[in-house]
Amino acid sequence: MKKLSAVILMFIAVVMVWAGPAASADRVAELMPDFVLPMPESPDEVAYLGLKDIKGETFKVSDIDADILLIELFSMYCPYCQEEAPLVNELYEMMKDSEQSGRKMKLIGIGASNSWFEVNHFRDTFKVKFPVFPDKDMSIYNALSGAGTPGFIGIRFDEDGKGVIVLRQSGGFYSSDEFLAELISYATNQ
Amino acid sequence: MRRTSDNPGLYRRILLGISPVLMVLLLCAAARSAEVSLKNSVFDVGHLKPIDSVLKVGPGDTAPDFELKSIANTTIRLSSFRNDKNVVISFVPAAWTPVCSDQWPGYAITRKFFDDADAVLLGISVDSAATLYAWTRHMGNIWFDVLSDFWPHGAVADAYGLLRSDGQAERALVFIDKRGIIQDIYVSDINDRPPLEYIVEQLKQMQ
Repeated sequence: MKKLSAVILMFIAVVMVWAGPAASADRVAELMPDFVLPMPESPDEVAYLGLKDIKGETFKVSDIDADILLIELFSMYCPYCQEEAPLVNELYEMMKDSEQSGRKMKLIGIGASNSWFEVNHFRDTFKVKFPVFPDKDMSIYNALSGAGTPGFIGIRFDEDGKGVIVLRQSGGFYSSDEFLAELISYATNQ
Repeated sequence: MRRTSDNPGLYRRILLGISPVLMVLLLCAAARSAEVSLKNSVFDVGHLKPIDSVLKVGPGDTAPDFELKSIANTTIRLSSFRNDKNVVISFVPAAWTPVCSDQWPGYAITRKFFDDADAVLLGISVDSAATLYAWTRHMGNIWFDVLSDFWPHGAVADAYGLLRSDGQAERALVFIDKRGIIQDIYVSDINDRPPLEYIVEQLKQMQ
């Protein structure tokens, strides 16, 4: 009977690993490839990203005034991104709230293979409040070594302005607060 | 001390206690596997010849009528919309292929554009209704009719000049007004998705 007990416990363990919450994001340490994005038309978005002093129609991601930047790779056409949208909105609000602790956390979306019209339609449909940008030719997605949508890339900006990718996740997350805790933990080397 | 193996009553209680937990965990596992199945089930077709057919109709022509079975097990006749609704047909090459699997799910969130233009959307591919049913189940809210042009194989696509030499349909959009007249045909490079703004612009012109 001991053997049978062991088998049952093993079975439970296997099922828990298989069926448990989404797998943890990957903790990584890679230099962020800097890339250029169009300057948002919305003054609120310019202020959110801390770009008021940047002149011109474009800006570099490293110009964003953040300690931690999270990039969502999404597509208007991706059903999983549509499903995930309310959770990502929730995450955005939580990131804003946690800024009160003095840590600047920003979130942007990159629409892989999407046009301006398509990312704007996604934003309007799901009432997305964070800035979203098109990546029609997928050059940003490829530069960031994207692996499917939705996907998340967490970046820590060091004091010298250098960006380091600290988190990668392919697929959605199941809990905004757990994911945020994971992002902060990876970015602060905890 | 007696071993628990000698106490079947206790053992039964343990099993009864853990079985609801196991059920919940198994259900979670089933949900997860369903969630990833569209992504993991797509067949990579590689890069295809952009366009492999010659149109047989154009703007100003009466749209060839057809009657096809839908995945809701109904029969849809194009001419039934005459004097009632504008019609947009989205031909896609094949189920379970990369670009197609990334096209109709986007239309799930675009219904308003069609409603505003008093238009219906019909999705057509040469796959069987059963295949189309299984495939579109993973696409979210597919609010439009999905029709099977399976037999005679690709006959409707062929009537429009949109049947490729390998038996697949082109990736194409056909805009038909309430009189049944074709207003526009957009034959896309099969490897690329037509931009949403093109559809919205054409719909505005049909309003």
